[in-house]
Amino acid sequence: MPIITLPFAYLERLVGAERSVILDRVPMIGADIERVEEDHADIEFFPDRPDLFSAEGVARAMRGFLGIETGLRAYSVRPSGIAFTVDPALAGIRPFLGSAVIRDVSLGEEAIESLMGLQEALHWAVGRGRAKVAIGVHDLDTVEPPFRYFAAPRDRSFVPLDFDREMTMEEILVEHPKGRDYAHLVERFARFPLIVDARDRVLSFPPVINGELTRVTTETQNILLDTTGTDAKAVMTAVNIICTALAETGAAIESVTIDGREVPTLAPAERIVSVAECSDLLGIRLSPGEMSELLWRMRFGAEPMGDDRVRVQVPCYRADILHDWDVFEDVAIAYGYENFEACLPSTFTIAREHPIAVIEGAVRSILVGLGYLEMMPFTLTSEPVLFDKMQRPRSSAALRVLHPISEEQTVVRTDILPLLLEMLQLNRHRELPQRLFAVGDVVAGTATYQKVAATSIHPGADFSEAYATTDALCRELSLPYTVAESEDPAFIDGRRGNILVGCRIVGVFGEIHPAVLNAFELEHPVAALELDLTVVPGYPAPPGTP
Amino acid sequence: MELTLNEKRLLVALGSMGSADATALAEAMGTRPEAVVQYAHLASGRGLVEVHRDVRRRYTLTDEGKAYAGKGLPERQLLESFEERIPMKDLQRHPLARIGIGWMRKKDWIAIRDGVVHKTGGDLPGADERAFAVLGETGVVQDGEGVQDLVRRGLAEVEETVTYEISLTAAGRHLLAEGLDLRQETGTLTREQIISGEWKTLNLRRYSVEKVPRRIYAGKVHPYQRLLDEMRRVLLDMGFTEIHGGIVQSSFWNFDALFQPQDHPAREMQDTFFLAERWPLPEGYERVRDMHERGGETSSTGWGGTWSVERAEQSVLRTHTTCLSIRHLAEHPRPPVKAFCIGRVYRREAVDPTHLPEFEQLEGIVMDEGVNFRHLLGFLKEFYASMGFEKVRFRPGYFPYTEPSVEPEVWVDGLGWVELGGAGIFRQEVTAPFGIEYPVLAWGLGISRVAMLKLGLRDLRQLYRSDVGWVRETPVLAEPIRGEEGQCRS
Repeated sequence: MPIITLPFAYLERLVGAERSVILDRVPMIGADIERVEEDHADIEFFPDRPDLFSAEGVARAMRGFLGIETGLRAYSVRPSGIAFTVDPALAGIRPFLGSAVIRDVSLGEEAIESLMGLQEALHWAVGRGRAKVAIGVHDLDTVEPPFRYFAAPRDRSFVPLDFDREMTMEEILVEHPKGRDYAHLVERFARFPLIVDARDRVLSFPPVINGELTRVTTETQNILLDTTGTDAKAVMTAVNIICTALAETGAAIESVTIDGREVPTLAPAERIVSVAECSDLLGIRLSPGEMSELLWRMRFGAEPMGDDRVRVQVPCYRADILHDWDVFEDVAIAYGYENFEACLPSTFTIAREHPIAVIEGAVRSILVGLGYLEMMPFTLTSEPVLFDKMQRPRSSAALRVLHPISEEQTVVRTDILPLLLEMLQLNRHRELPQRLFAVGDVVAGTATYQKVAATSIHPGADFSEAYATTDALCRELSLPYTVAESEDPAFIDGRRGNILVGCRIVGVFGEIHPAVLNAFELEHPVAALELDLTVVPGYPAPPGTP
Repeated sequence: MELTLNEKRLLVALGSMGSADATALAEAMGTRPEAVVQYAHLASGRGLVEVHRDVRRRYTLTDEGKAYAGKGLPERQLLESFEERIPMKDLQRHPLARIGIGWMRKKDWIAIRDGVVHKTGGDLPGADERAFAVLGETGVVQDGEGVQDLVRRGLAEVEETVTYEISLTAAGRHLLAEGLDLRQETGTLTREQIISGEWKTLNLRRYSVEKVPRRIYAGKVHPYQRLLDEMRRVLLDMGFTEIHGGIVQSSFWNFDALFQPQDHPAREMQDTFFLAERWPLPEGYERVRDMHERGGETSSTGWGGTWSVERAEQSVLRTHTTCLSIRHLAEHPRPPVKAFCIGRVYRREAVDPTHLPEFEQLEGIVMDEGVNFRHLLGFLKEFYASMGFEKVRFRPGYFPYTEPSVEPEVWVDGLGWVELGGAGIFRQEVTAPFGIEYPVLAWGLGISRVAMLKLGLRDLRQLYRSDVGWVRETPVLAEPIRGEEGQCRS
């Protein structure tokens, strides 16, 4: 999540309140204070509130929340007369463009840093790593309108930011650090997006890099903003957030004409919401007037309409308001989470344990009674552990994850016994006897079900112990079973048995094969068993079976 | 004072003699002297007897020593083989030269100048020679000056005899005078002794409570499972129904049904374990699609864009248990529903002390007519209080599928406010496609965080790759929650 650095001096000036007041209240608007330093605080805001990714945006919100200035912040937009054309050939590449002119900026170092920080945070949260939206900021006075956004040949060249020589766009993707970072977003296209001015000079190669020509400095007075992307709404959200943040510092916003359409308008969206619905959701009785006042503190425009309606004006920078309930959450925040009185509903319900949990609980109580200690191994494991060390053939039933993070965790366990042997290996230095068991989920194909496995290691562990334990477990589970000689290679021939219910093999027990003991570096005999719990009486039928 | 039978027999044996050595006592008691010494030490610990240890040494000549007996030590024999002086090369021809010359020089009997050996005249017999002479005559000495030198030279050897002189103290005499019960002691009772009534006349051996017992270990439920069971108990006590479900889920249930946009970062390969298997979408999936694209029939705008069936069909290892909650609600859309789930969830994270690719999550949902935000806070307070966290506070939060959202924090002494889980009311975009008409309160938490607080762990791996020693030593009845400094909660 984005962590925003807020310099205290700048923030205090913008908010008009002491830092202590701001730090005390900012968590209650929805933020986590990461650290507080001498001259600044690092604060994490939620990804659905990109309008709070700048000191200017935070100041606007806090002025309302602290009651310094409430209600909708109106932004006036004058036409700049500057025009863009968009090449229809960009349709399959990067079709959407947003833009604005921001005049009379006085960019101190703090404001430039804030702007760069905002741009980066927006690239992450709204832009999805520039795939969905990329933002370019230019010194307007270095170029000449009108501007053209078009699909350019890949060998078109210009001087990219931070370089002093011309490069083709293809070269930029290989040689420029930003080119390498973002090549994956464009390299599959035959032509690349490019913005040029009236004299065909390059402003930007979105979403990769700007031209050096339009670099923004503390001398810059007028800014041209471009946002390009694959989602029309997100592209305009980014424009609105940047324009309104800069407007907070006193800059004037002007619109541009894109293929005949004036953008941005910075106008609020309107939503008529029900006061009763909000009151019911939050559990507090509000009048339309009270609700409106709360919304003003969150910088919405709001006016009561009759007994149950409020006409809400949603600021253009609020990308998170999709639904009326999003507005209601803001009502709750303005009301103050600390002011809600917690209570419990009166509906009567009866608890029910899940039958699988009941069976697992029974297994635990039986094996604990037999002196076994429970382990809770991982469910992710590897084929060498699950099959090779067990001398068992690899099974196609083992579910592989597509992009494992380590060689130890590439498949989901189909059995628990191998993981218990691993536990014995981990605990070789501990006193014997060790009797361990584990019960829980296994996956075969894509189906999840449950098994139990138990192991006993000590100098006298043998087939008889495994058989007796299996018998005790099955008897206690009311599981009528029979046994037959097994061919499981993990066990010693002549000292192994299959557990059968009807004609189906549902488990195995016996004395672990010495080669398996060697593979797990164990030095004493191990008596072991594993049982499929789906045959235990009371196990729920899988959905779709009669 | 509880004496063992053997101590009592020792006192009785001593009674006639007052004081005796262990060998004599052993004979009198019909046992070995070592046993007598052991009994005596026990009784001496109680102040009933005194034990006096006496070590006697006995020296005899070795074979080499015997060879010189009567003739004198080699250096003496060598010294007497010449007059005042002798050339070294002549002396070296003497059979005892190899041993004798060195000793003569060491004892300063001779000086060597220009290859000639001169007597110094200072050759009076030392303590070693005197002892050797006595030994030669008698064959044995008890101790004395010089004999140690002979032992070091390998001419004599020592034999040590330790004797114990045991005598009654006044207290011992007093106790003896009072009379002692000398019946045979019985260790383990036999079946015969119990049923025949013989036990009534037996002298049952007493065991010392001061001796540390043998350490044995109980079979038991894993400490982490006990914590999970405790949480299950809390939710069952609150009238919740337990739900259960598969580890493998479609992206549809894991993400789309929860209104998580298809381009959400959590749906990227680096955060989630994707699987090659595809999972057909359930009937009525179009309502979820419409919700994503346009906001369905609600006041929502939706996410816009085009919703991809293919992305929704991709299966994953569930990243949260919320997929089970929404499936349960989809199957039970009528109120009231109060359900919870505890299950393992998967995130594509490398293993380190505080991150694991799999861990347990707990989740509770309540759907009912008229439930609201205050009830959500009520359930949270109740749940955390039952888990032992008395102080809870609430802050705004953000979760993709709830609105409003809450971040509960609990107070832990030594740590302060600790964020513990998340909560909220399911968005209508989540509930509406499944025909759910009433608010759904939902909360969840990663249990590993609680486990670290409650079990005092610093490394989460201990939960899943447990040290048997740790499990054996962790008590079944847990101690109260401790903070970093190990301070008890008041």
